[in-house]
Amino acid sequence: MYTVESLVAQIQGLSSSAGDLSLLLTHLKQADEFLHNESTQLFPFLEQLDPTLHSLGYLYILEASTSGPVTNEQARRLVLLISRFLTSCVADQIRLAPEKFIAVCKSFKDQVLMLEAPVRGVVPLLEAVKKLRSSEHLTTLHPDFLQICLLAKCYKTGFSILEDDIFEVDQPRDFYLYCYYGGMICIGQKRFQKALELLHNVVTAPMSSINAIAVEAFKKYVLVSLIYNGQYYSSLAWMCILYIELANTYSIGKISELETYIQTNREKFDSDNNLGLVKQVVSSMYKRNIQRLTQTYLTLSLQDIANTVQLSSPKEAEMHVLQMIQDGEIYATINQRDGMVRFLEDPEQYKTCEMIEHIDSSIQRIMTLSKKLTAMDELISCDPLYLAKVGRERQRFDFDDFDSVPQKFNI
Amino acid sequence: MDFSLLTDALSSKSYGKIADICDELMLKGAAEMEGVPFEEEWPFAIHLLAHIYVNDINSARYLWKSIPAAVKERQPEVVAAWRIGQRLWTRDYAAVHEAIRAFDWSQQIQPLVVAFSEVYTKRMFQLLLSAYSTIGIQDTALFLGMNEDDATNYVVQQGWVVDPDSRMLTSLKHYQTSTESRLIRHPLIGENSINLT
Repeated sequence: MYTVESLVAQIQGLSSSAGDLSLLLTHLKQADEFLHNESTQLFPFLEQLDPTLHSLGYLYILEASTSGPVTNEQARRLVLLISRFLTSCVADQIRLAPEKFIAVCKSFKDQVLMLEAPVRGVVPLLEAVKKLRSSEHLTTLHPDFLQICLLAKCYKTGFSILEDDIFEVDQPRDFYLYCYYGGMICIGQKRFQKALELLHNVVTAPMSSINAIAVEAFKKYVLVSLIYNGQYYSSLAWMCILYIELANTYSIGKISELETYIQTNREKFDSDNNLGLVKQVVSSMYKRNIQRLTQTYLTLSLQDIANTVQLSSPKEAEMHVLQMIQDGEIYATINQRDGMVRFLEDPEQYKTCEMIEHIDSSIQRIMTLSKKLTAMDELISCDPLYLAKVGRERQRFDFDDFDSVPQKFNI
Repeated sequence: MDFSLLTDALSSKSYGKIADICDELMLKGAAEMEGVPFEEEWPFAIHLLAHIYVNDINSARYLWKSIPAAVKERQPEVVAAWRIGQRLWTRDYAAVHEAIRAFDWSQQIQPLVVAFSEVYTKRMFQLLLSAYSTIGIQDTALFLGMNEDDATNYVVQQGWVVDPDSRMLTSLKHYQTSTESRLIRHPLIGENSINLT
């Protein structure tokens, strides 16, 4: 039989080389049930271990001792302990037991939420994600980290992991949540294009039955599409009729009608937590209507802009135009003397060094992506499961195509 | 908490770096928190102004939303710093200058506010340059946060032209193309250039 003391001694003795560690892992796996039975007695022993030197052993004991229900008082101590472990543990060791590591992180997240202090979880979970992931791989910790960032209002930090390309996913649910939370982070940062991309992934993901994440993502997808593109298209429509009606009203282009519609359904939008986005949809309509004018006119008076776009005064129209120039959404010059606006062409001539670098890096990214696709295609075309399926179907087609005499009749 | 990175950045006037330094310090501080909540000693006013300085109003706004109510009540400087961010958020261009002047900033923060004020005036001038061919002196003064004489001098130094009768300013790049025929004074050549009319 085991004692905790003997296990601690083993951990201390077998944490240096790779060979030792695999031996230790076998011991720990065997002792796992024992550790869980002893879970309440384990805390004092953690002090005898170093989270950096003995990451693997520390992880097993920590996981066992946090597996049961945790009180508020215990959470207070645990959060600090786990956050230190997550920042100081060694990646190579914890990756020997990823499921234990994930369990510890999940319980850490729950504790931080229980203490209503999500901001305390941001750095440790970011460290955890960095240590667990291999390149281009989505871990189950990604969505947890993003959720914590949203709750702690640390949008900028959350955004930092959205830059990485993801090509491998274990659980579809992780991917849906990652894209949904990631979309919300981008909305907060007003990076609507990136938000659309992420939400689009959820909305169009293959799924056998419709799930709640996709529905919520779809609502935001419609709103962000309106803000960014002025229109939307999709197939989940019947779940979110309120939003489709909004989009239909939007396409008419009349501010007053849009505002009436929103006012009537205000409570529903609010209960979906989408009211802020809905308001941005309204202001995007002003912008879009002004943008439309630039396609028709070369110059236009501020008064005319105010009339067409339904703004109350030329001064208000001037402020709208000014904001759009500031954000690079239109190119125009305002002439206050005559009260006129002259619309100009995009001055970008694609000949600066920055622009060339930008284009070059885009080409590089696309080339890498294309290579990945080819590799994936080759992999699938050698996959026995896939070949078996295709083979079966081909046979059936051949049978139908070439056998002119039906073998049997269904009467 | 170890504030040395922050104080170094402040004293070397590397204001553009402060937002990132503060973000990192705060999140680490929150993760390492023992007993005393980090909010008690956190320099929220500097953190807010640092976001504002690099024109990251989104982050400033989220930071403001996460500041505990007690801190907002106790530290009027934090509220004053956000007032600047709020004016920027609502694009109330002129009121930004008022918000800067409306508070008696502490000694530690004063240089950061002054630096932002200068950067903001430059940004506003760039905006006027890209958005207006002509603009009234009064509006220019509001945008730049100066009195009318100072504002006129400022833009004339950058090559704009004054029409005293209509009290309008014309930007040089538009002045050259739109009024070639009645060019009176070329600002780059100076007072004594040839009168073509």
